[in-house]
Amino acid sequence: MRLTLQALISHGRVARKMGLGPESRINMLRNILTGLVRHERIETTRARADEVQFYADKLIDYAKRGDTDARAMQMANFWLTEKDLLPKLFKVLAPRFENQVKGYTRLARLPNRENLDRAEMAVLEYKGNPFPPLYPVKRENELTLINQLLKGYREERAQLTSPQ
Amino acid sequence: MSLLNLLHFLRRSLQRAGSTLTDIAGLDRHFAPALAVHGPSVIPQPAQDGGSAPSFLDSIFWMAVPKKRRTVEINRTRRRDPTKGMEVKTNIESCQECGNLKQKFTLCGYCYAKVRRETGEIRKQIFAMEGKPLDTPAVDTVVLYEGETPGEADKDKRIVERQRKRPSWFNLS
Repeated sequence: MRLTLQALISHGRVARKMGLGPESRINMLRNILTGLVRHERIETTRARADEVQFYADKLIDYAKRGDTDARAMQMANFWLTEKDLLPKLFKVLAPRFENQVKGYTRLARLPNRENLDRAEMAVLEYKGNPFPPLYPVKRENELTLINQLLKGYREERAQLTSPQ
Repeated sequence: MSLLNLLHFLRRSLQRAGSTLTDIAGLDRHFAPALAVHGPSVIPQPAQDGGSAPSFLDSIFWMAVPKKRRTVEINRTRRRDPTKGMEVKTNIESCQECGNLKQKFTLCGYCYAKVRRETGEIRKQIFAMEGKPLDTPAVDTVVLYEGETPGEADKDKRIVERQRKRPSWFNLS
Protein backbone atom coordinates (compact mmCIF):
# COMPACT_ATOMS: atom_id res chain seq x y z
CA MET A 1 0.00 0.00 0.00
CA ARG A 2 1.44 3.42 -0.95
CA LEU A 3 2.21 5.44 2.12
CA THR A 4 3.60 8.56 0.45
CA LEU A 5 2.40 10.76 -2.40
CA GLN A 6 3.94 10.07 -5.80
CA ALA A 7 4.35 13.83 -6.23
CA LEU A 8 6.78 14.06 -3.30
CA ILE A 9 9.16 11.44 -4.70
CA SER A 10 11.28 12.24 -7.75
CA HIS A 11 12.62 8.80 -8.67
CA GLY A 12 13.35 8.58 -12.37
CA ARG A 13 12.44 12.18 -13.20
CA VAL A 14 14.99 13.29 -15.79
CA ALA A 15 13.73 16.71 -16.84
CA ARG A 16 15.87 19.55 -15.50
CA LYS A 17 14.46 22.49 -13.56
CA MET A 18 16.09 25.83 -14.40
CA GLY A 19 15.39 29.38 -13.33
CA LEU A 20 12.21 30.35 -11.54
CA GLY A 21 9.86 27.89 -13.22
CA PRO A 22 9.05 26.31 -16.62
CA GLU A 23 8.33 29.66 -18.28
CA SER A 24 11.51 31.16 -16.90
CA ARG A 25 13.44 28.14 -18.13
CA ILE A 26 12.11 28.56 -21.67
CA ASN A 27 12.92 32.29 -21.61
CA MET A 28 16.45 31.59 -20.43
CA LEU A 29 16.98 28.94 -23.13
CA ARG A 30 15.56 31.33 -25.70
CA ASN A 31 18.14 33.96 -24.79
CA ILE A 32 20.96 31.45 -24.94
CA LEU A 33 19.74 30.11 -28.30
CA THR A 34 19.58 33.64 -29.73
CA GLY A 35 23.17 34.16 -28.61
CA LEU A 36 24.18 30.87 -30.22
CA VAL A 37 22.59 31.78 -33.56
CA ARG A 38 24.27 35.17 -33.50
CA HIS A 39 27.76 34.11 -32.45
CA GLU A 40 27.78 30.43 -33.55
CA ARG A 41 29.88 29.48 -30.55
CA ILE A 42 29.03 30.16 -26.91
CA GLU A 43 30.29 29.20 -23.47
CA THR A 44 27.78 28.43 -20.73
CA THR A 45 27.27 26.00 -17.91
CA ARG A 46 27.03 22.34 -18.90
CA ALA A 47 23.40 21.94 -17.91
CA ARG A 48 22.28 24.96 -19.94
CA ALA A 49 24.35 23.94 -22.96
CA ASP A 50 22.90 20.44 -22.82
CA GLU A 51 19.35 21.82 -22.72
CA VAL A 52 19.93 24.32 -25.51
CA GLN A 53 21.49 21.70 -27.80
CA PHE A 54 18.15 19.99 -28.30
CA TYR A 55 16.38 23.26 -29.09
CA ALA A 56 19.21 24.40 -31.39
CA ASP A 57 18.92 21.22 -33.47
CA LYS A 58 15.14 21.44 -33.59
CA LEU A 59 15.32 25.07 -34.71
CA ILE A 60 17.51 24.06 -37.64
CA ASP A 61 15.01 21.34 -38.53
CA TYR A 62 12.24 23.93 -38.61
CA ALA A 63 14.42 26.36 -40.59
CA LYS A 64 15.05 23.67 -43.21
CA ARG A 65 11.35 23.78 -44.10
CA GLY A 66 12.01 27.20 -45.61
CA ASP A 67 10.87 30.68 -44.68
CA THR A 68 7.63 30.40 -46.66
CA ASP A 69 6.39 27.78 -44.17
CA ALA A 70 4.12 29.54 -41.65
CA ARG A 71 4.88 27.21 -38.75
CA ALA A 72 8.65 27.49 -39.30
CA MET A 73 8.48 31.27 -39.33
CA GLN A 74 6.33 31.24 -36.18
CA MET A 75 8.85 29.02 -34.38
CA ALA A 76 11.83 31.08 -35.49
CA ASN A 77 10.04 34.27 -34.52
CA PHE A 78 9.39 32.92 -31.04
CA TRP A 79 12.84 31.49 -30.43
CA LEU A 80 14.96 34.32 -31.83
CA THR A 81 14.45 37.45 -29.78
CA GLU A 82 16.73 39.55 -32.02
CA LYS A 83 14.90 39.77 -35.31
CA ASP A 84 17.93 40.53 -37.48
CA LEU A 85 18.90 36.87 -37.03
CA LEU A 86 15.84 35.52 -38.88
CA PRO A 87 17.41 36.05 -42.35
CA LYS A 88 20.67 34.59 -41.06
CA LEU A 89 18.91 31.47 -39.80
CA PHE A 90 16.99 30.77 -43.01
CA LYS A 91 19.63 31.84 -45.54
CA VAL A 92 22.90 30.83 -43.86
CA LEU A 93 22.37 28.11 -41.26
CA ALA A 94 19.66 26.08 -42.98
CA PRO A 95 21.53 25.73 -46.32
CA ARG A 96 24.74 24.91 -44.47
CA PHE A 97 23.13 21.78 -42.99
CA GLU A 98 20.95 20.67 -45.89
CA ASN A 99 22.98 17.50 -46.46
CA GLN A 100 22.98 16.52 -42.78
CA VAL A 101 20.12 14.78 -41.02
CA LYS A 102 20.99 15.54 -37.41
CA GLY A 103 23.87 16.64 -35.23
CA TYR A 104 24.23 20.25 -36.26
CA THR A 105 25.76 21.26 -32.95
CA ARG A 106 28.82 20.22 -31.05
CA LEU A 107 29.08 20.29 -27.27
CA ALA A 108 32.52 20.16 -25.65
CA ARG A 109 33.32 20.24 -21.95
CA LEU A 110 35.54 22.94 -20.54
CA PRO A 111 37.52 23.16 -17.30
CA ASN A 112 35.51 24.62 -14.41
CA ARG A 113 34.96 28.37 -14.29
CA GLU A 114 37.59 30.33 -12.35
CA ASN A 115 35.05 32.05 -10.06
CA LEU A 116 34.19 31.12 -6.52
CA ASP A 117 31.34 28.93 -7.78
CA ARG A 118 33.69 26.71 -9.90
CA ALA A 119 30.76 25.97 -12.20
CA GLU A 120 31.10 23.22 -14.80
CA MET A 121 31.33 24.90 -18.19
CA ALA A 122 30.80 23.77 -21.74
CA VAL A 123 31.14 25.32 -25.18
CA LEU A 124 28.32 24.82 -27.69
CA GLU A 125 28.78 25.61 -31.36
CA TYR A 126 27.14 25.09 -34.69
CA LYS A 127 29.32 22.94 -36.95
CA GLY A 128 30.86 24.74 -39.90
CA ASN A 129 31.46 28.00 -38.06
CA PRO A 130 34.34 30.24 -39.26
CA PHE A 131 36.23 30.16 -35.96
CA PRO A 132 39.31 28.06 -35.09
CA PRO A 133 38.41 24.44 -34.29
CA LEU A 134 37.98 23.30 -30.70
CA TYR A 135 39.59 19.93 -31.30
CA PRO A 136 42.96 20.34 -33.02
CA VAL A 137 43.38 18.34 -36.18
CA LYS A 138 45.96 15.60 -35.69
CA ARG A 139 48.96 16.04 -37.92
CA GLU A 140 51.58 13.34 -38.27
CA ASN A 141 55.08 14.72 -37.86
CA GLU A 142 57.43 12.90 -40.22
CA LEU A 143 60.51 14.17 -38.46
CA THR A 144 60.03 12.21 -35.21
CA LEU A 145 62.46 9.36 -34.57
CA ILE A 146 59.85 6.61 -34.69
CA ASN A 147 58.38 7.89 -37.94
CA GLN A 148 61.83 8.12 -39.52
CA LEU A 149 62.65 4.57 -38.45
CA LEU A 150 59.31 3.32 -39.79
CA LYS A 151 59.95 5.15 -43.04
CA GLY A 152 63.36 3.48 -43.36
CA TYR A 153 61.82 0.10 -42.58
CA ARG A 154 59.16 0.52 -45.25
CA GLU A 155 61.77 1.55 -47.84
CA GLU A 156 63.90 -1.49 -47.04
CA ARG A 157 60.88 -3.79 -47.33
CA ALA A 158 60.05 -2.24 -50.68
CA GLN A 159 63.67 -2.76 -51.85
CA LEU A 160 63.62 -6.38 -50.75
CA THR A 161 60.30 -7.21 -52.39
CA SER A 162 60.78 -5.26 -55.67
CA PRO A 163 63.86 -7.16 -57.05
CA GLN A 164 62.00 -10.45 -56.33
CA MET B 1 6.36 22.83 23.48
CA SER B 2 7.70 25.83 25.36
CA LEU B 3 9.53 25.47 28.62
CA LEU B 4 6.82 27.31 30.51
CA ASN B 5 4.19 24.90 29.19
CA LEU B 6 6.42 22.00 30.15
CA LEU B 7 6.69 23.32 33.68
CA HIS B 8 2.92 23.81 33.95
CA PHE B 9 2.31 20.29 32.64
CA LEU B 10 4.72 18.80 35.13
CA ARG B 11 3.18 20.71 38.00
CA ARG B 12 -0.30 19.59 37.04
CA SER B 13 0.70 15.95 36.61
CA LEU B 14 2.48 15.93 39.95
CA GLN B 15 -0.50 17.45 41.67
CA ARG B 16 -2.69 14.79 40.11
CA ALA B 17 -0.41 12.11 41.49
CA GLY B 18 -1.21 13.38 44.95
CA SER B 19 2.24 14.13 46.31
CA THR B 20 3.59 17.58 46.94
CA LEU B 21 6.56 19.04 45.14
CA THR B 22 8.60 19.14 48.35
CA ASP B 23 8.17 15.34 48.80
CA ILE B 24 9.61 14.63 45.39
CA ALA B 25 12.37 17.14 45.86
CA GLY B 26 13.49 15.81 49.22
CA LEU B 27 12.82 12.05 49.49
CA ASP B 28 12.52 9.46 46.78
CA ARG B 29 9.45 7.43 47.92
CA HIS B 30 9.07 5.90 44.45
CA PHE B 31 11.29 2.95 43.74
CA ALA B 32 11.14 3.34 39.99
CA PRO B 33 14.42 4.49 38.42
CA ALA B 34 14.71 8.22 38.42
CA LEU B 35 15.28 10.06 35.20
CA ALA B 36 18.81 11.39 35.15
CA VAL B 37 18.63 15.04 34.29
CA HIS B 38 21.23 17.68 34.35
CA GLY B 39 19.88 20.27 36.71
CA PRO B 40 19.19 20.99 40.32
CA SER B 41 17.49 18.35 42.50
CA VAL B 42 14.78 20.84 43.30
CA ILE B 43 12.32 21.21 40.50
CA PRO B 44 11.77 24.92 40.32
CA GLN B 45 8.31 26.07 41.28
CA PRO B 46 7.11 28.68 38.87
CA ALA B 47 5.98 31.99 40.38
CA GLN B 48 2.38 32.14 41.69
CA ASP B 49 1.37 34.97 39.38
CA GLY B 50 2.24 32.52 36.58
CA GLY B 51 2.40 35.09 33.82
CA SER B 52 6.08 35.92 33.81
CA ALA B 53 8.21 34.74 30.92
CA PRO B 54 10.77 31.99 31.76
CA SER B 55 14.03 33.55 32.76
CA PHE B 56 17.30 32.77 31.02
CA LEU B 57 18.39 30.39 33.77
CA ASP B 58 15.25 28.20 33.41
CA SER B 59 16.05 27.30 29.83
CA ILE B 60 19.42 25.71 30.48
CA PHE B 61 17.96 22.66 32.21
CA TRP B 62 17.23 19.34 30.43
CA MET B 63 19.63 19.82 27.48
CA ALA B 64 22.10 17.30 25.97
CA VAL B 65 25.67 18.01 26.95
CA PRO B 66 28.94 16.05 26.62
CA LYS B 67 29.83 14.18 29.78
CA LYS B 68 33.56 13.97 29.22
CA ARG B 69 36.22 15.79 27.25
CA ARG B 70 37.03 14.04 23.99
CA THR B 71 40.68 13.09 24.11
CA VAL B 72 43.04 14.15 21.38
CA GLU B 73 43.51 10.51 20.33
CA ILE B 74 39.75 10.06 19.77
CA ASN B 75 39.61 13.37 17.95
CA ARG B 76 42.57 12.41 15.76
CA THR B 77 41.05 9.08 14.76
CA ARG B 78 37.84 10.82 13.77
CA ARG B 79 39.51 13.64 11.84
CA ARG B 80 42.03 11.42 10.05
CA ASP B 81 39.59 8.69 9.11
CA PRO B 82 40.27 7.89 5.39
CA THR B 83 36.59 8.16 4.42
CA LYS B 84 36.68 11.83 5.39
CA GLY B 85 39.44 12.83 2.99
CA MET B 86 39.08 14.06 -0.57
CA GLU B 87 38.48 11.51 -3.32
CA VAL B 88 41.52 10.89 -5.47
CA LYS B 89 40.88 11.84 -9.10
CA THR B 90 42.00 9.25 -11.63
CA ASN B 91 40.75 11.15 -14.70
CA ILE B 92 43.72 13.51 -15.06
CA GLU B 93 45.93 13.13 -18.13
CA SER B 94 48.20 15.39 -20.15
CA CYS B 95 47.18 17.17 -23.33
CA GLN B 96 48.68 15.71 -26.53
CA GLU B 97 49.29 19.11 -28.05
CA CYS B 98 50.76 21.26 -25.29
CA GLY B 99 51.54 18.81 -22.48
CA ASN B 100 49.58 20.63 -19.78
CA LEU B 101 47.37 18.65 -17.47
CA LYS B 102 43.75 18.28 -18.40
CA GLN B 103 40.76 16.18 -17.35
CA LYS B 104 39.58 13.33 -19.54
CA PHE B 105 36.72 14.11 -21.92
CA THR B 106 37.34 17.85 -21.34
CA LEU B 107 39.14 20.35 -23.53
CA CYS B 108 42.64 21.41 -22.49
CA GLY B 109 42.49 24.79 -20.71
CA TYR B 110 45.64 26.14 -22.32
CA CYS B 111 44.73 25.15 -25.87
CA TYR B 112 41.17 26.43 -25.45
CA ALA B 113 42.45 29.76 -24.08
CA LYS B 114 44.38 30.24 -27.34
CA VAL B 115 41.30 29.40 -29.42
CA ARG B 116 39.13 31.68 -27.27
CA ARG B 117 41.50 34.59 -27.64
CA GLU B 118 41.64 34.25 -31.39
CA THR B 119 37.83 33.90 -31.58
CA GLY B 120 37.55 37.13 -29.58
CA GLU B 121 39.85 38.94 -32.01
CA ILE B 122 37.84 37.68 -34.98
CA ARG B 123 34.61 38.85 -33.34
CA LYS B 124 36.09 42.31 -32.71
CA GLN B 125 36.93 42.52 -36.39
CA ILE B 126 33.40 41.42 -37.32
CA PHE B 127 31.90 44.06 -35.04
CA ALA B 128 34.13 46.72 -36.59
CA MET B 129 33.00 45.61 -40.07
CA GLU B 130 29.32 45.63 -39.15
CA GLY B 131 29.45 49.07 -37.59
CA LYS B 132 26.38 49.02 -35.38
CA PRO B 133 25.05 46.17 -33.21
CA LEU B 134 22.11 43.93 -34.21
CA ASP B 135 23.08 44.20 -37.86
CA THR B 136 24.03 40.67 -38.96
CA PRO B 137 24.14 40.17 -42.72
CA ALA B 138 22.58 37.01 -44.14
CA VAL B 139 25.87 35.66 -45.53
CA ASP B 140 28.46 33.15 -44.35
CA THR B 141 31.78 34.30 -42.95
CA VAL B 142 35.31 33.16 -43.73
CA VAL B 143 38.47 34.24 -41.93
CA LEU B 144 41.60 34.95 -43.96
CA TYR B 145 45.04 35.68 -42.58
CA GLU B 146 47.93 37.64 -44.08
CA GLY B 147 48.82 36.68 -47.60
CA GLU B 148 45.76 34.52 -48.26
CA THR B 149 43.32 34.99 -51.10
CA PRO B 150 39.71 33.85 -51.12
CA GLY B 151 39.27 30.48 -52.78
CA GLU B 152 36.56 28.97 -54.95
CA ALA B 153 34.27 28.08 -52.04
CA ASP B 154 34.58 31.54 -50.50
CA LYS B 155 33.16 33.58 -53.31
CA ASP B 156 29.80 34.60 -51.78
CA LYS B 157 31.04 34.82 -48.24
CA ARG B 158 31.88 37.84 -46.17
CA ILE B 159 35.66 37.98 -45.69
CA VAL B 160 37.12 38.84 -42.29
CA GLU B 161 40.79 39.78 -42.54
CA ARG B 162 43.11 39.21 -39.63
CA GLN B 163 46.41 41.10 -39.63
CA ARG B 164 48.63 38.25 -38.61
CA LYS B 165 50.12 35.02 -39.86
CA ARG B 166 47.83 31.98 -39.75
CA PRO B 167 48.33 30.11 -36.44
CA SER B 168 49.52 26.52 -36.80
CA TRP B 169 46.53 25.14 -34.92
CA PHE B 170 43.97 26.80 -37.21
CA ASN B 171 44.03 24.68 -40.33
CA LEU B 172 42.32 25.50 -43.57
CA SER B 173 40.22 22.33 -43.49
